[in-house]
Amino acid sequence: MQVVIMGCGRTGSALATRFDAEGDQVTVMDPDDAAEGRLPAGFRGRFLAGNGVTPAVLEAAGIAHAEAFVALTPNDSANIVAARVARDTYRVPRVIARLHDPAHAPVYSEFGITTVGSVPTTVNRIMQLMHHRTLEPHQTFGNGETLLVRSAVPAYLAGRQAAEFNVPGEIGVVELSRSGHSRIPDPSTSLESGDVLSFIVAAGSLDRLRSFLGGKWS
Amino acid sequence: MRIIVIGGAGLAEQVADALHRAGDEVTVIDTEPGREPLLAKTGLRAVRGDALVLSTLEAAGALRADVLVACTQSDEDNLVISLLAKKHFNIARIIARVNDPANEELFSQSWGVDALVSPATALVSMIRQTGA
Repeated sequence: MQVVIMGCGRTGSALATRFDAEGDQVTVMDPDDAAEGRLPAGFRGRFLAGNGVTPAVLEAAGIAHAEAFVALTPNDSANIVAARVARDTYRVPRVIARLHDPAHAPVYSEFGITTVGSVPTTVNRIMQLMHHRTLEPHQTFGNGETLLVRSAVPAYLAGRQAAEFNVPGEIGVVELSRSGHSRIPDPSTSLESGDVLSFIVAAGSLDRLRSFLGGKWS
Repeated sequence: MRIIVIGGAGLAEQVADALHRAGDEVTVIDTEPGREPLLAKTGLRAVRGDALVLSTLEAAGALRADVLVACTQSDEDNLVISLLAKKHFNIARIIARVNDPANEELFSQSWGVDALVSPATALVSMIRQTGA
């Protein structure tokens, strides 16, 4: 996949590095020449000094052939302009922009631009950790109705079958990690002490899962 | 006419002042704090705030304005403000300032811009005409 990233700060450089590691062709732009120094040695992608708002710079970055564009500058207007040009002028199929100031969220949505907001993301994550102290969600889906959580299997549950956790519509065991290896368990897989399980859980059933793991086996 | 001018000291303020003296009803939006009293002295209405926030534009009377002038020193701000003014507030005439001539091609109907002002381009063409 050809990816163009605007902004080579902490997030931009980390994202560029990740895409590169996964074998994608990355071009990352930043008006500051020195930003190239944030990319690791051995980075196979391309760095371009320039402001991605300027059409000539966006063209030079290969936007016309890009399959994805990510605008990550700390300037919301610049992210909006570049994202909209990438989507509407160059028909880039996947366009994502960072939302810096939450007060600008209505502008992004008015223009139909998909955003990732640092502030709302951080706030939501902190609230998740606060509310589900003992079961840490790894991922939430939709508006948080469904969560993916991981938990070590308590010693007293060794010998039980993985499927015993399953409650239709509420809890499902989806993964088992044992001695550093991960697999999808059969319903009959017998649990061992030290296993770590991944569960898909409805938000309303977190307490139920917590009580399973906490010893109040019902 | 009811006109909203966005931008700080310099070009935006001079434009607003000239329009105001010509008898138009002018409101200035600027992010910089502490300039309201200064503007009020000249009889200009001033709203302090971020023009990328809908409520700021509303407070400046965007719902009944005839003209909006996006005159900040940031091309991307001017573009986003222009499109908001046209799309969300349906303002009849949007005039935007181009700071970097390399961005001039963006200042078109696709960003809600009806007319652009590019000081650099204007100066260069003037020099070309008189310097020949």
